[in-house]
Amino acid sequence: MNYILSRNDIPKVLEMWSKTHQVFAPQKYSNFSAFLPYEGKAEQLCLEYPHNTRYPPKALFLPQSEELLSYTKDGQASEPALDAKPKLIFGIHACDTRAMTLLDTVFDAKDYQDPFWKARRESTAIITLGCDEPCSTCFCTTVEGGPFNRQGADIIMTDIGESFHLEALTPKGENLCKDLPYASAAEDRKVSNVQEKATSDMPKAFDTEGLKTALDANFDSSYWEEVQRSCLGCGVCTFLCPTCFCFDIADEAARSKRYRNWDTCMFSVYSREASGHNPRPSRKERTRQRLMHKYSYWVDQIGKIGCTGCGRCVRYCPVGLDIRAMLREAGKLPVEVIHA
Amino acid sequence: MSANQPNIVLFQCQWCLYAKTDQDWVENSLPENMHLVKTSCTGRINPLFVLNAIQGGAEGVMISGCKPEICHFKEGNIGARRQLSAFQKLLTHIGFDRSRIRFVWMDLQDTGRIQKELATFEKDLVDLGQSAVLVTRKPGFEGGMHD
Amino acid sequence: MTDLEMKLKAEAKRLLDEHLVDVFIGFRKENAPLHPQPAFFTNSDQLDDFVYNNLCQNNLAKFLTRYPHETKIGMIVRGCENRSVNHLIVERQHPRENIIMIGVPCTGIYDWRKITQRCGEEISDVELSPGKITVKTSKNQFEFESKELLHVSCARCSQPNPISADLVIGEPVEPKDPARAKRQVETFGGMTAKARYEWFTHESERCIRCYACREACPMCYCAECFVDHGAPRWTESMVSKAGMQTWHIIRAFHQTGRCVDCGACERACPMDIRMTYITEKLNTDMENEYQFICGMDDKTQPPFAAFTMDDKTRFVA
Ligand code: SF4
Ligand code: SF4
Ligand code: SF4
Ligand code: SF4
Repeated sequence: MNYILSRNDIPKVLEMWSKTHQVFAPQKYSNFSAFLPYEGKAEQLCLEYPHNTRYPPKALFLPQSEELLSYTKDGQASEPALDAKPKLIFGIHACDTRAMTLLDTVFDAKDYQDPFWKARRESTAIITLGCDEPCSTCFCTTVEGGPFNRQGADIIMTDIGESFHLEALTPKGENLCKDLPYASAAEDRKVSNVQEKATSDMPKAFDTEGLKTALDANFDSSYWEEVQRSCLGCGVCTFLCPTCFCFDIADEAARSKRYRNWDTCMFSVYSREASGHNPRPSRKERTRQRLMHKYSYWVDQIGKIGCTGCGRCVRYCPVGLDIRAMLREAGKLPVEVIHA
Repeated sequence: MSANQPNIVLFQCQWCLYAKTDQDWVENSLPENMHLVKTSCTGRINPLFVLNAIQGGAEGVMISGCKPEICHFKEGNIGARRQLSAFQKLLTHIGFDRSRIRFVWMDLQDTGRIQKELATFEKDLVDLGQSAVLVTRKPGFEGGMHD
Repeated sequence: MTDLEMKLKAEAKRLLDEHLVDVFIGFRKENAPLHPQPAFFTNSDQLDDFVYNNLCQNNLAKFLTRYPHETKIGMIVRGCENRSVNHLIVERQHPRENIIMIGVPCTGIYDWRKITQRCGEEISDVELSPGKITVKTSKNQFEFESKELLHVSCARCSQPNPISADLVIGEPVEPKDPARAKRQVETFGGMTAKARYEWFTHESERCIRCYACREACPMCYCAECFVDHGAPRWTESMVSKAGMQTWHIIRAFHQTGRCVDCGACERACPMDIRMTYITEKLNTDMENEYQFICGMDDKTQPPFAAFTMDDKTRFVA
């Protein structure tokens, strides 16, 4: 069903949801925004912010540092309790919601399930806010998504001026909307206009047709040598990325605890082995890995591109490296090279 | 430790205590709230050691080394002083109380001094009271993680 | 293309065509808004998208340490970059004779964050003219005076002119407000200890340990950083208070007497964390105590390396 949430009612409704859920919403954090627990401060909300939150919401399910277990000197180990309290994410964009579904294929796969991830996912409802004014760095439609993509959402929300239009997509979503007024037919029509316009306004950033073939064929291309030159090898693009999920496990002996921390293929220590040997010895291999993983290996594994086009890596790379430009170039590389 | 017995970490250059009795005392008879870290020279004291001690709950850090010109390695202490005093100023800049880091430069004449220095330091730390600045790894006092 | 850009490009072309350098380090046109990219030209055909403007935010000296000593490097240097290069020469990271510095008197780097914040809207286009910047967003157009947008390091820059470049293109510029550096350090130091620690805590706790600050700094060229050490492990691996504070304290401390206050670290940070309030303190301490300013020549050792027996007068207690 479709419902209406007037702008003025947002604080009231968030308050209501807070009674049964821990509510996370994009809020002011330093000079930007992040998903933070909503504490009744409506003035902190950043629903109009021109871009996605800077810190990626994947952290709500895969915290940057997370305790896996604690142990005692006499060999006892215990795992922390799973986080199953009901949670609600309000106002997350479609690219980020879709990213969660991609990450489900990693943390909630057939033969392996991560209990921490799963517990958080199952206890969380997601209200996606579609983007009616996508940014210059966004390219969701290029990578199988869209500003109003519904994958992973319980409710999809559209800004129709005075109010938001909410379409409940799952029972979880319906349940949340039960106290809201229904949307009128006129309002429903407005929604499809907004959604269609936003989707068709998005330019194609690069061609994905044949991209994987070009990437695979050019694994050894000197192109990667070009790409790595300005790259600093920092963790910005991967840590801010909503689909990057690599982690490292560390025992913190002083705390008697084991932690899982985000890690990134852009760091040289990421692939360095105990012997000191590093199979990805230079930035050339590392920059290649980031693009290959998202645009080739994900496709091999789940048949989908592992990037949702959120544009964070483009926007915050300190040297202005743009994944779209890199892929445009890569797509043009000759495919026969490797077969010659 | 009780409020009257603040944790003190003593970083000691292994050459700076000339009197055997002093060295014996430092090695075997330090009160329980004082912890000895012996190094090969003050030049070996990485500022990270000092930071780690503070983060782990040391109320005060004492650095004991040789006076200038009598360093076993000729000028280890000269370099160490530049680094460690700059580090002390840096910590002060971000809100740490500089009097919680104390230097003691000693020579042959100073038999019995280390005991006195530690006692005064302990008393001064008691007067200062407990600090939470930079104390982020003390058991039961752990700095939380942002998640 | 501005007159300055044209002249720089012509110089780069000459150096490459005459084989005076193997690589010329400059900037090229951005794909992402507000972020021109460091570029490495090895052939004058590649110079088409050469740019140089106030949005070029990286310290190019960063890239010097990536080349073997034999490589002849040509590069654009502003005041701070010139000093970084000088200090890298002191630290024997590249021989002076294999570097050709094309100096540009610098009018300051714009902080891209200030631009996005002031506009508060998605930026579609930026036009730069001397002393002014015009930003077009989806709905509006904004005009800013250049001085409103300068990065804090640039606003207090004491050496905007290259000091030992092989060739300087453009007229020397006046330093902005060098007294500001000391003023800022003093103002900060004048706050209560509690307020200073709160400030430090507030800044460091946003850290995501991406190490962009390290990777952007010309002086961070260690083969292995202390945070990457496995054994011994110097600090906690998590984004815990201990781990983040250690990173911020020790990263800054490792720059003592080596930092030129270019601000590249801050501009690289994705979490808008301020860092130069610490490095500037170290810089002023080094200047006050040892009369040392980093990079003023390519011979003088920094204070931590230049200790002598004369220091004995400095020992107290
Ligand atoms: S953010 Fe940019 S500089 Fe940092 S690793 Fe990614 S591509 Fe390289
Ligand atoms: S690769 Fe870049 S654009 Fe794609 S999902 Fe990650 S951060 Fe977003
Ligand atoms: S610490 Fe920051 S300001 Fe200092 S030289 Fe490095 S990048 Fe520049
Ligand atoms: S760039 Fe910023 S977030 Fe990244 S490690 Fe440095 S201070 Fe932390």
